[in-house]
Amino acid sequence: MGTLRTIACAAFAAALSVLPAKAQQLTVWHDLGDNGIKWFEALSAEFAKQKPGVTVRSQSFPTDQWFGRVISALNTDTAPDLIFNNYERVIRIQNQTNKVMDLKALTAGIADKSFLSEDDMRVATYKGRQIIIPIQRVQMAFGVRKSWLDKNGGKFPETWDEVKTLAAAFRDKDPDANGQADTFGMALQAAKPRDLIHMLDLFIFGSGLRHTLIDPDGKITIDQPAHAQVLEEFLKTYSTYRFVAPDTINHSFAEMYQVIEGGRGGMFRVGDWNVRKWDGAQVLNGDFVSGPWPKFAADRPNAVVIGGMRGVAIPENSPNKALAQEFAAFMLTKAAQQASLENVGAGVRKDLDVSKLSPRSQYFAKAEHRLVAYDFPESIHAFYPELEAAFHRKLLAGIANPPADWKAFIAETAKEMRELAQKLKS
Amino acid sequence: MTDLLARMARDRIFYLFVAPFAALTILFGLWPILLSIQVSFTASASALKPNPSYVGFANYASVLADPIFLASLSRTLLYTALAVVANLAFALFFAMLLDSALLKRGNLFFRLAIFLPVITPDVAGYVVWRWLYDRSFGAINAALKMLGLPAFGGLSSVDTAMLAVLIAELWHHAGFYMIIFLANLSMRDRTLEEAAHVDGATAWQRWWYVILPQLRPAIVINTVYALIQFLKTFTVVVVMTKGGPNDQTNFVSYYAYQLFDQARYGEATAMATILFAIVIAISLTAYRIGDREPARA
Amino acid sequence: MSPLRPNRLLQAMGYLVATVTSVLFLYPYWWMLVSAFRPTRAIMSDPLRPWPEALSFQIFSEIGRIGGVNLSTYALNSVLITSAATVLGVGVTALGAYALVRRPRAPGFSLVRYGFLVTIMYPYMLLVIPVYLVMFRLGLLGSYAGIILFLALGPLQFFLFEQFFRKIPSEVIEAALIDGASEWQILTRVVMPMAMPITATVALITFLLNWAQWFPILVISRSPDTYTLPVALLSMNSELGSNFQGIMALAVLTTLPVAALFLLAQKRVMEGMASGAVKG
Repeated sequence: MGTLRTIACAAFAAALSVLPAKAQQLTVWHDLGDNGIKWFEALSAEFAKQKPGVTVRSQSFPTDQWFGRVISALNTDTAPDLIFNNYERVIRIQNQTNKVMDLKALTAGIADKSFLSEDDMRVATYKGRQIIIPIQRVQMAFGVRKSWLDKNGGKFPETWDEVKTLAAAFRDKDPDANGQADTFGMALQAAKPRDLIHMLDLFIFGSGLRHTLIDPDGKITIDQPAHAQVLEEFLKTYSTYRFVAPDTINHSFAEMYQVIEGGRGGMFRVGDWNVRKWDGAQVLNGDFVSGPWPKFAADRPNAVVIGGMRGVAIPENSPNKALAQEFAAFMLTKAAQQASLENVGAGVRKDLDVSKLSPRSQYFAKAEHRLVAYDFPESIHAFYPELEAAFHRKLLAGIANPPADWKAFIAETAKEMRELAQKLKS
Repeated sequence: MTDLLARMARDRIFYLFVAPFAALTILFGLWPILLSIQVSFTASASALKPNPSYVGFANYASVLADPIFLASLSRTLLYTALAVVANLAFALFFAMLLDSALLKRGNLFFRLAIFLPVITPDVAGYVVWRWLYDRSFGAINAALKMLGLPAFGGLSSVDTAMLAVLIAELWHHAGFYMIIFLANLSMRDRTLEEAAHVDGATAWQRWWYVILPQLRPAIVINTVYALIQFLKTFTVVVVMTKGGPNDQTNFVSYYAYQLFDQARYGEATAMATILFAIVIAISLTAYRIGDREPARA
Repeated sequence: MSPLRPNRLLQAMGYLVATVTSVLFLYPYWWMLVSAFRPTRAIMSDPLRPWPEALSFQIFSEIGRIGGVNLSTYALNSVLITSAATVLGVGVTALGAYALVRRPRAPGFSLVRYGFLVTIMYPYMLLVIPVYLVMFRLGLLGSYAGIILFLALGPLQFFLFEQFFRKIPSEVIEAALIDGASEWQILTRVVMPMAMPITATVALITFLLNWAQWFPILVISRSPDTYTLPVALLSMNSELGSNFQGIMALAVLTTLPVAALFLLAQKRVMEGMASGAVKG
C-alpha cells in the first residue's frame, strides 16, 4: 500500500513538474516575410528562457491576404493568439471586427517603457482603446542608387528640382552603362489605392506638409497651394515627366521591388526594413544611399517619414490570451528589441546596440535626421477608406489620360472629394 | 403519395448512390450561395455578426446607382463578347487546320503545343505573361523592337490592357475549345462533302453549307462554356493587372472581390448575385438558341 | 520546274501558321524555365536571352523555405490534396451521375442535377466569406478535409460520367435485371467493368485540373501549412519584398509535374475532355 502511495505521489509530482513545461504554442500572424519569421524564431527561443516549453510560431501572409484572414478569423472566433502589423491596419481590423483587445492595463504593468513617447502612445490608441503595443517605429527615407548618383555629380538631391534633374539623367544617360535605354528615374507603385496614396503620402509628409487628402476637421486639403504643388509634381512624375516605367500604373509592392532590385529605377523609397535585404550581395549589395524626401519649398523643412508604428495586438478571442499578453510585453524587453532591430531593421528602444549594423541601417537606427509622422486619417474618419479608394481612382484616371491642365484637374478632384466626403459623412 | 413513397423505397439504392454527391453539392455549393445571397440583403457592418440587420434591396439599389459598377459591368460584357468570339474563332480555325489533310506530319506536336496551356496552372502561366508584356523590361517589346516594329502597350496602356488580358486568356483556354471542335470534326459525315464536291461546290461553299452546320453541337457547347468562363474572369486580373490601368480590366468579379477588402460585404454579395443572374440568363439563352435552331445540313 | 500547285502553297502556309503559333504558345514555358536560372537584374535588362548566363541551382535552395514553410511541404500538399480530391471526386461523381442517369425521374433527382449545374455558374471567387463561414460551422476550417471536400466536385467530371452512362445500352441492364441481378450487382458486375477506362480518364483530368486550384485553398487554409504549390506561388511576396527569380523557379516547379503527366497521357486527356463536351 505504502509503495503504491509513494509511486502515486511520485507520478503526481512528475506530472506537476511536466505540466508547466507542457508544449504550448502561440501563433502570430504578420506580413513581414522570411525576415519576420526569423525574427519570431529568435523571439521564441528567447521567450522560452523565461517560459520553458512555450514556443512561438509566426506565419507570414501577403498584406491583402493578412487583412482578409484576420478579419474573418476574428469575426468567427477562430483568431490567432497575436497579430502583428502597422497601426493603421490594426485600426481597420478593429473597425471591422471590434475584437481587438485594449492593452492599456497590460502596458501600465510594464515597468521598463520610458522610451515610449506620448506621441507613440497616441498612435497606439484608437477611440480610447490602446490597440497595439508599439514595437517598431517605421521609417521611410528617400533612396538613391549610389553608383548612378556618383556618375551624376555624387550629390544627394535635396530639392525637388535637383531630384527632377537627376531623374532625367537616370532615364536618359544610361547610368548602368549596359548600352540600352532601359533605366528610369524612380521606382514607385500605383496599382491599388493604398499603393498610390502611400507614395503620395511620402512626398507630402516628406516635404513637411501635414495632410495628404483630408485634415482632422474633415476639410479636403489637396487644392491648398502648397499641397496642390506637390500633388501636381507627383502626378507628372507618373505621366508627363516619364520618370517611372510606364507599367508602374499596374505595379504593386512586388513589382516595385522587382524594378528596384532589378536595377531599373534610380530613386525609390527605402524602408528601415528593406535595408537588410538590400545590403545583401544578391540584391543591391549596399549600392544605395538614404536621405530625407525632396524639399518643395525653401521655407518648409523636409524630412524622413515615420509611417507610424508596427505593433503587436491581441484579439479579444485569442485562444491563449494570458500567455499572449506575457509575450506581447516581452516584445519590449531589450533582448527582444535587439532581435527586432537585427532582423527587421527597427525597434522602439533607444538603448540598443547599433554598432554591428551597416551604415545604411545605422542611418535609421540612430534616427539623427528630421522625422515627420503620418496623420492617420483612418483613425479619425471612419469613411476614409472609401474616400481614399475614390481619390485613387480619380488620380489613376489622370495618370492614364494626362489632362492638359493639371491645376484644373486638381481643383475638380478637390470638388469631387468634398462632395463625396459630405455624402459619406451623412 | 403512397405511390410516391413506394417508388422512392424501391429506388432507395439510387438515393444511396446519389447521397454523397447531393451532400457535397448542397454543403459546398448551394449553402454558400444561399448564404451569400442572404448577406446581400444585410447591412455590411452587421453582415458577419450573429444577428445581421436586414436592409431589403438597399445594397442592390446602391450597387445599381454606382457608376463604377455599371462601367465594370459593361466592360465585363464587352470583354466576354470579344473573348468568346476570339477564342472560338481561333479554336475553330486551328481545329480545321489540324483536321485538314495539309498538316499530316507534326500534327500531334501542334495539338500538344496549343493544348498544353489548358492544363498549366493558370497562376503560373499568368505570372509569366505579366512580365512578357512589360513595356520596358518584357520580352514581347524587346522582340518587337528587334524586328523594328512599334511597341505594344500591353498591360500599361489603357488602349491595349484588355487586349493583352484577352491574349493571355486565349493562350490558356483556346486549346480546350479546339479539341472539342476536333472531336466534333472527326465525327462528321464526310460523304456529304464528297457529294457537294461532285455537285461543283467551291471549298468555301462546302465549308459554310456542309461542314459548319455539322459543328453545331461543338459550337453550342463551346459558346456556353466560354460564356460562363469569361463572364467570371478573375485569376488573370488578380495576377496581371489588379483591375488597372484606370479600371480597364476591372471586371465585375474583381471589383466585387475588392469590396470585401473595404468590408462592404452587402454590396459585394449583391454584385455577386447580379453577376450570377447574368451568367445563368446568358448561358441558358445561348443553350436554348443553340438547341432550338433546326439543323441546316 | 512547274510552278507550285496551289495546294502545295496552301500546305506551306498551313505549316508556317501552325509552326509560328505553336512556337508562340510554347515560348512562355521556355522563358519561365530560363528565367528560373537568371538573376532578376539580368532578366530585366536582357529579357530575350535564350539561355541562362550560368547554370546554377542555387535558387532552388533559396526558395527551400517560403513563408516559414518548407517547399517540400507545399509540394507534398499538392500531391496529397490533389490525389485525395481526385479519388473522392471520381467516386462520388461516378455514383451520383450513375444514379441520376438511371433514375432521371426519381423525386428530388432533377433538383440535385439542377442544383449542381447552378453551382457551376456562380462566380466562385465571390464565395470567400460564405465558404469561410460554412467551413467554420462544419469545423473544417484550415483542415485538409475541408479543402479536399470542397475540391471534390467539378463540372467536367460530372459531364464525362453522365455522357458515358447515358451511352450504356438499356438492353444490357435489362438483361441483367431479367437474370435476377440486384442493382448493386448490376453496378459492381456490369457497369463498373465497362466504366473502368472512363474512370481512369476522369481521374487523370480531375488530377490535372485540381492541381491548378488556388482560390478555395487560400480561403479555407488557416495557415500556409496547407497551401499547395500554386497558392505558395501567389503568396510569394511580403511586406519586405519579393524574389522574382524565385517566383519563376516556383512557377517551373508548379508546372512541371502536370506538364509531364499530360505529355505521358496526352491522348487520353485530350480525347477525354472532348468526349465530356460533345455528344457522340
